[in-house]
Amino acid sequence: MQEASERIFQNFEQSFKDFAEATDLTRRDKATKLSSQIDVLSLTRDGLTYLYQKSSLLDEAGIFEGTAWNEPDKLVATLVKGTLKAGHPTSSFEILSELRLLAYARADAESSFISAREAQDFLEEVVVHNLEFALKEPTEETRSVMSERELKKAYNLFGFIVSEIDLHGVYSKLAQEIKLICEQRPIVTRKARELIRLVDQRFDTSGDSEIDRQVRHYIHAVSAPTVHCREYESTEAYTRFLESCNPSTLEAEADAMGHSMSSTGLVSKHHAALLKFLAQKHPELVPNCLDLNDRGIAEWEKFHEFVTTIILEVVSPSNAQCIYGLARMLGQNLFSRRPVRVGLENLRRIKLNSQVEKRILKSVAHPAEEVTALQYLLGGVIKVLGQPLGVGQGNNPTCQSARGISMWSQHAPAKLIDMIITVATQNNLVMRYENHDLTSNQLGKGLLEKLDYNLDPVSVILVPHLDKLYNEMMKRSSGRGEDPHKWVNPSMYGQWIQLGFASCYDYLSNSILDFEGFVRIFYASFHPHYNGGREMAYPNPVGIFITSSKGDMVGFHAVSLLRVAEDDQGQVRAYFLNPNNEGRQDWGQGIEPSVYGHGEKFGESSLPIHQFTARLYAFHYNPLDIKELVPKVPEKELHQVEQLARASWGKSYVWNQQIKLW
Amino acid sequence: MAKCFALMGWSLPVIESMEKLGKPYVVVSFPDFEPYAKENNIPFVPYQLDEWSDTSNSLDLFEKLQPYGVDVAVPLFEETVEWAGALNSIYRGDPRVLNRAFLFRNKAMMKRKALIGGLRVGLFEEVHNKEGVKAFMKRLNEANLQLEGEEDSWVHIKPFASAGTVGHRLLRSMSDIDEKCEDGDFPCLAESHLPGREFSCEAFIHKGKIRFLNITEYVHLGYSNFIPEGHYLESKRQLIHDHVQKLVDIFGIEYGMVHPEWFLTENDELNFGETACRIPGGHILELASKSWEFDALAAFVVCHDPNATEEELDAIFPPKDFKPKNYHGNVMIYPQKRQFSKLEIPEELNNEPYFVDHTLVPPLSTQKISDDREGFGNHFGTINFKGEDPDRMTELLLHYEKVDFYV
Repeated sequence: MQEASERIFQNFEQSFKDFAEATDLTRRDKATKLSSQIDVLSLTRDGLTYLYQKSSLLDEAGIFEGTAWNEPDKLVATLVKGTLKAGHPTSSFEILSELRLLAYARADAESSFISAREAQDFLEEVVVHNLEFALKEPTEETRSVMSERELKKAYNLFGFIVSEIDLHGVYSKLAQEIKLICEQRPIVTRKARELIRLVDQRFDTSGDSEIDRQVRHYIHAVSAPTVHCREYESTEAYTRFLESCNPSTLEAEADAMGHSMSSTGLVSKHHAALLKFLAQKHPELVPNCLDLNDRGIAEWEKFHEFVTTIILEVVSPSNAQCIYGLARMLGQNLFSRRPVRVGLENLRRIKLNSQVEKRILKSVAHPAEEVTALQYLLGGVIKVLGQPLGVGQGNNPTCQSARGISMWSQHAPAKLIDMIITVATQNNLVMRYENHDLTSNQLGKGLLEKLDYNLDPVSVILVPHLDKLYNEMMKRSSGRGEDPHKWVNPSMYGQWIQLGFASCYDYLSNSILDFEGFVRIFYASFHPHYNGGREMAYPNPVGIFITSSKGDMVGFHAVSLLRVAEDDQGQVRAYFLNPNNEGRQDWGQGIEPSVYGHGEKFGESSLPIHQFTARLYAFHYNPLDIKELVPKVPEKELHQVEQLARASWGKSYVWNQQIKLW
Repeated sequence: MAKCFALMGWSLPVIESMEKLGKPYVVVSFPDFEPYAKENNIPFVPYQLDEWSDTSNSLDLFEKLQPYGVDVAVPLFEETVEWAGALNSIYRGDPRVLNRAFLFRNKAMMKRKALIGGLRVGLFEEVHNKEGVKAFMKRLNEANLQLEGEEDSWVHIKPFASAGTVGHRLLRSMSDIDEKCEDGDFPCLAESHLPGREFSCEAFIHKGKIRFLNITEYVHLGYSNFIPEGHYLESKRQLIHDHVQKLVDIFGIEYGMVHPEWFLTENDELNFGETACRIPGGHILELASKSWEFDALAAFVVCHDPNATEEELDAIFPPKDFKPKNYHGNVMIYPQKRQFSKLEIPEELNNEPYFVDHTLVPPLSTQKISDDREGFGNHFGTINFKGEDPDRMTELLLHYEKVDFYV
C-alpha cells in the first residue's frame, strides 16, 4: 500500500514532466492522462496533500489552458457542484482547481489572477453550497447521479478544504444548517453532531450575538448541557457529584437537562447518567429530566416500574440518544398500549441472530464494550417509536423501506416490534403478496447494492429484508401496463393505504396522460378547500419527480404525504415525510421544501400545495369518496400546477391531452 | 541530413517530435486540417490523398512540395504508403521504390515475395467469393489428411490492403464460411492458420541494415501488448533479429521501419504473418519510447532519410548495449455491455503499483454500441502500466481486459 502510493507519486512526476515538456499540440492529451492520476490521488488524504503542493505548479504549467477553469477570477462557486457531479475527467480538474485556490487563499502560492482574499471568499461560498459533501450526507439527487468513487473524491476534497481553510465567513451559514438539521429531529444524529463539533472546534462561539447563543446551546446539548456537566467531564465523576447533591440542585439539574434535550432533540452522555441516577434514587424527578408534558407525566406515573426497568436496562452513556425517543414515547402514551408493552417485553428476552448482531454493531459509530447489541437495538426501537418522522434512509436508495418503518411506527407500533423480533432472531422476514408468501431470504437482490451503515439499528436490520421484499413485489407486478406501486403499496404498508391509485404517467402510451384530471383528483381528495374539509387520517405513500435546482428531471423518489393544512399565514401547504432528511433542497422554479417555520412538526417537510403537486406523479385515494368533488376544483388551480410541471420535469415527457376515465 | 521531410498523414505526436527534433518538415494531409495547421504554424500542404486523377497524383504533389525542398517522404498511415513510395521513387531516382510500396499494400503479393525468398509462410490464395474459400478449405483439409468427422482446418481471410485486424475473419468450419463471409469481403486473401506464438517487431532500417530492433509482446492481439518483450522472446532475440534481417533483404528495403508480425513455434521456427511499413497501432511506438528512452517517432522519421549520418542516427537511437529498466504495457478498453451510462474505475486499480495512467472518458449519456464493429471496433481509451516483471505485466493486462469499466 505504502509502496503503491510512492509509485503513484513517481508516476505523477513523470507524467507532469511529459506534460510540461509537451508542445501545445499534444498538451490536451497529456493533460487527460495527468487527470487520470489526479483522479486516483484525490481518493486519499495523502494524495490530496500531494496534489495541493503541486496545484499551483500545475496551474502555472497550464493544465487549465483551454478549459473552463483557465481564469480563476471568473469561476462561479455555484457551478462547482455540477462539475463534481459530471464525473471524471471533469471532476478531477475541478478538484485540482479547488486545491490551487486553497493554496492561493492560504498564501502558500501566489496567482497573478486572483488574490488570497478572493480565493478565500470563493472557497467559503463553495463550502456552503456543498455541505452535503463536507458532511458526507448527499441528497437524493446527488446520490442518483454520482458513483461511489466520485462521491468519495468529493467527500475527500471537502474534508480537506474544511480542515485547511479559515471558515469564518461561513459561520452563520453553518449555524443555520445546524438548526435546519436539528429541527427535523432525526433519529440518527451523527450529521448534526459532526457539524456541531466542527463549529465548536473552528469558531470562537463565546460572543454575545444571537447566533453565538444559539450555537452554544447546541454545543452544550451534545457535550455538557449544564454547568455541572462541564465541571465533571466523565460520567463517573458526574454521578458521584449527583450523589452528593441536595434535592433542589438535583431538580435544577433535571430541569436544565430536560429542556436542553427537548429544545434540540440532542442528548448528552451526562443525561444518561442523570436519568439512571434519578430513576433509582429520585423517580419523582424523572418527568423533569425528560421534560414530559401532562400526558407523559401521567404515563410515567402509571408505568414507572416497567419504564424504569427499560431505563436501567437500555440507557447508557454511549446509547444516550434513545432518551429523547423514550420521552416522546411517554408523551404519546405508547406504553398504554398493551401490545407495545408486550412487544418490548418480548424483545428484551430474545437471542440475537449472529449476523444481525454484527449489523447492529456496525451501525454504531463507536460501540462501547459494556453495551450489548441487544441494548443498542432496544434503544433503536425506542427511538423509532418515539420519533416516527425521524426515520431516514441514510445513504441508501431505500426510501420505500424507510417510509414503511415510519408508517408502522406511527400506526402499528406493535406490529413493527413484532417484525423487528422476527428479523432480529431469524434474520428473515415473510410477507404475503397476492396470495404468495415471499420469504426475504430466498429472494434475489433488491435495490440495495451495499448497505450504508449510517442508519439507526432498526433500519439497519429491517431494511435489507424490506428492500428485497419490496423489489420482489415490484417485479411480480411489472408488465401490467400500470404503475406496480398501485398493488405493491397496499400490500407492503398495510390496510391503511387506499386502494385507488392515480398516476399521471401512462405506461401504454409512454406519456403524461390527462395531467389536469390527475391534479383534479388530488385536490378533490386532499386539498381542504375542495375535499369538503376532511383531514387525512393516515399517511399516503406518494411518488414524486426529483428535479435539479434548474428544474430538470433527475429521477423518482418516494415520500409520505402526512397532512394538508393551512399554515398561520393562511397558505395551504402539503406536509410530508421525506425519508432523505435534508433541509437544504432546491427542486428548481423556486420550489424549496422547508422544514421549520411554516407549521411543520418535527420531521415534516412542507411546500405550498401547488408546488408539491407540481412534482407529484402518483398517489393513493379513495375513488368512492370524491365523485361529486372532482368537477368542482377550479381550473385556475389546475393550470398553476400544470405550468410548473410542464416547464420542469415535464420537458422530459410527451404530454397527451386526451381525457382519461379515472 | 534531409533538406525537408514530407510527413504523409496527420499525426500530432509526430509533428511534436519533429518540432522537438528541430528538423524541417511539411505535413501533407486532407484540407480539413489546414485551419488547425495555420493556427499553430505547422507547415502544411493540403492534398486529397484519397483521390487519384489528373489533378491529384504524385507528380502534381511533387511539384507542390518543391517549394519546401522536400527530399524524403515518410508514410505515417497505411493509406499513405503508396504516396510516400511514389514520391521517394522520384527523390531517389529508383522506380522500384514505388513497386516496393505496393508490396506492403497487397498481402498476397507480400506473401509470395516472402515465400520466394525462403521465409516460412502458410498456404495462401487469392479468393473471389465464398465458393473460392470453401474450395481452399477443402484442399487444406485434404492436405491435412482429414478423416470423416474431424474438424475442418482453420482459414483466415483478410483484405489485401487494410491495416491490422480490420476485416480479418477466422473461419473454423465450412458453415462458418456461409455465416461469417459477406459479399463485400471479396476479393481477398485466404490463408491457412499459422501455429505459434504471435508477436510483432519494429525494425528501424537504414542502408538495408537493422539499426534498432524492438520486439513487442502481444498479450492479446488487439487488446494489449508490452515492451520490451518478455523473458521467453528475449531468449530468441538473435533468431528473431536474423529473420527480420532476412525479410529486409528479401524485400530489398533500404530505409524506414518495418513492422512484421511473426508466429514462433515450439521448435523455434518462425512463420511470417505479414508486415507493414507505417506507424503501428496500439500505441506501440509510445511504449517503445518509454521503455527504450528514446523518441521512437522521431527515429521513425529520420531513418527514412538516406542522407542521415551515423552521428545523427547514433544521437537519436538508444545506445547499442541499452537495457530497458522497466516494461511498459497497455490494454485497450472496450465496453463489455451493449448499453452503459457510467465510467467506473475499479478500486483495485488505485492500489496497483504497476498502474501509470489512463485515457478513459465517460460515455455520452447512455451510449449504445453499434452492431457493425470494424476490426475490434473503437476502444474507449487505454490504461498504461509500468513495472519490472513481465509475467506480472501479462497477468495484469489479461485481467484488466476483462474488467468492465463501463456500466
